[in-house]
Amino acid sequence: MQRELGSFPLTPGVRQKLHSAGFLLVEDIIQVTPEELGREIGITSEEAHDILTLITGATKPTSASGAVPTDPTMHLERVPGHMTLSEMLQEPQQFIVTFSERLDGMLGGGVPLTKITEFCGTPGIGKTQICIQLAVDVQIPECFGGVSGETVYVDTEGTFIVDRVKDIATAAVDHCHQMAAVEAGHNPQDTTETFTLVSILRGIHYFRCRDYVELIAIIHMLPKFLKEHTRVRLVVVDSIASPFRHHFDDYSLRTRVLGHMAQDLSRIANEHLLAVVLTNQMTTKLAAGEGQRSHLVPALGESWGHVAGVRVVLNWEGQQRCALLLKSPSRQQVIVPFQITTGGIRDVCSVSATQRHVTSPTPASVSSKDTSQGPTKRRRLDT
Amino acid sequence: MSLVELLRVTGLSANDISTLKETVAQAAIKCPVVTALQLHQKEGPAELSYGYLSTGCQQLDKFLRGGLLSRGITEIAGESASGKTQLCIQMCLTVQLPHELGGFSAGAVYICTEDVFPNKRLVQMVDLLKKRCHIPSVSDIKFTDNIFIEHAAELDDLSFCINKKLPVLLAKGQVKLIVIDSIAALFRCDFSVHEAAKRAKQLSAFAAQLTKLNCQYNAPVICVNQVSDVIHSTNGATQGSRKVMPSLGICWANLVTCRLMLSRTNETVTVRQRDDAGNVVSCIEANVRNMEVMFAPHLPNTLCRYIIDHDGVKALS
Repeated sequence: MQRELGSFPLTPGVRQKLHSAGFLLVEDIIQVTPEELGREIGITSEEAHDILTLITGATKPTSASGAVPTDPTMHLERVPGHMTLSEMLQEPQQFIVTFSERLDGMLGGGVPLTKITEFCGTPGIGKTQICIQLAVDVQIPECFGGVSGETVYVDTEGTFIVDRVKDIATAAVDHCHQMAAVEAGHNPQDTTETFTLVSILRGIHYFRCRDYVELIAIIHMLPKFLKEHTRVRLVVVDSIASPFRHHFDDYSLRTRVLGHMAQDLSRIANEHLLAVVLTNQMTTKLAAGEGQRSHLVPALGESWGHVAGVRVVLNWEGQQRCALLLKSPSRQQVIVPFQITTGGIRDVCSVSATQRHVTSPTPASVSSKDTSQGPTKRRRLDT
Repeated sequence: MSLVELLRVTGLSANDISTLKETVAQAAIKCPVVTALQLHQKEGPAELSYGYLSTGCQQLDKFLRGGLLSRGITEIAGESASGKTQLCIQMCLTVQLPHELGGFSAGAVYICTEDVFPNKRLVQMVDLLKKRCHIPSVSDIKFTDNIFIEHAAELDDLSFCINKKLPVLLAKGQVKLIVIDSIAALFRCDFSVHEAAKRAKQLSAFAAQLTKLNCQYNAPVICVNQVSDVIHSTNGATQGSRKVMPSLGICWANLVTCRLMLSRTNETVTVRQRDDAGNVVSCIEANVRNMEVMFAPHLPNTLCRYIIDHDGVKALS
């Protein structure tokens, strides 16, 4: 609606009158009735009606009547890239697996592409580990059921430790190679050769950022970056909370800045068909009145709760790490246990032993080795 | 700011604004993008690389995957007399060692808030360290001259110290380690129960400043913390074994990168001191202590047994 009125085929006299009355752009005039316009610039309402018809007709060639469109929903139909529900249903939803079947099951198959998923939890619960795991898993080739993508990793806390990435990536590579060995006839050998530690590390694009200005700048630059790196299927921001939790006295400004960022992220997720994974810290919500107890809630306030489509809260239950699906458009609220081993995120042992890990001995062997080493390792939960 | 707002304020066209925003964004990003492979091969820019600071004991280093992470804040928590200060002093010495011995060949700043700095113990440890290492480059280091000791009895002193004094010292490159012993003392007593929100704000501002210094100069930060008892509100009192957790609550925990917990057990072992010829000089009884990794981005939650003797902190095999 930035078109100038001067660009329409109007007589110089009318143009002059419009200009001196302050009507410069289409948006200035579009909501005005012919009577008002006539009064404003000193012409008859018939003349004014003709002008308006001309302008609205030119800007909206589809509106047949030429009447002044006051209903804003009329514009919506013209938004490019719109989809009907049946079209959406035909497009299969793709997921990034977490390597923990129960966690995948909870999320409906893994972390969904085109959506924002948020992991919240207390320090040390494994948010960063999940992020690193996903950054590796997104690169699993298609023949293993992966999405064969790359990762943008935005690190605001400085907790991205390459040695740890190496551990997890090595475990993932071993796992896939073993799967390939079992189903050798069906997987061409060269695919497994391209999926190596080096290729994984090369596929993680790492941004370090220290304050919220840098974070906003990075997110602003992302569309351009993604155009150059079209294989990126995952954007991780670990964590979204830390840059916003200090130096912000004005909370309404913070909410606004966060809101803009959330919009940008969800646009990126949709346009580039990728998953956005955010981590959030927990904070204590103080008891508001009598009878209420202080309890832990995800940080950044109420309005931030609307941003992520899928929200998972990680917490300790006794000695067991558990994930609670707090919010999801399609899945019910459940709690599943998981554990973190040298190789990354895994199912709890007793579960993984009974399930189909016959084809993939890596997670089970890694985790059992690990539990025997550490005396304080998590007690296993029989479910 | 949103596009619409900018349009209104500046009166520029939408295209101009997006160019403007892009330029600003480009200027604001200080770190270029690197891939993890580059990081792994240490090809990335210097500010993104990180190292490990040796603890002075090979087994402990192995346990911690090379030592303390130079990135982020490392917290050492524990009950009194669990060996927090001992470990800190030892780190102040190892940071001065040359790179090939796991140090950063630079000095340390030691901010005391609880007690006076244990000078005598430092001198003792320096002497023993020099005796153990027979490398001339080590015996030439004037260990005691490179530790800057700062006493902060109040929060104002502390914030003045980290906001004004530390940047100067770090900028000179003389210092590559910041130790605060302890963080809890000041924040625990200066605030009443009702001032929790205020305390949280101060803590996060404090941690932000430390993190900034840490990023800028790649100098590890160690914060010593006290512990509080965990009291279950459901059963009234702690049952069976005592359970403790680091103090200052979740707000502080969110700001810490690695958390180590030290504790003391009732077991003892006998340590024999030997002289150069291998003869037993003296025997001491040393308490076995536990070091537990509560959380760290690169370490599993494991436990390591260690003792403290004349030389300092040592892991038990």
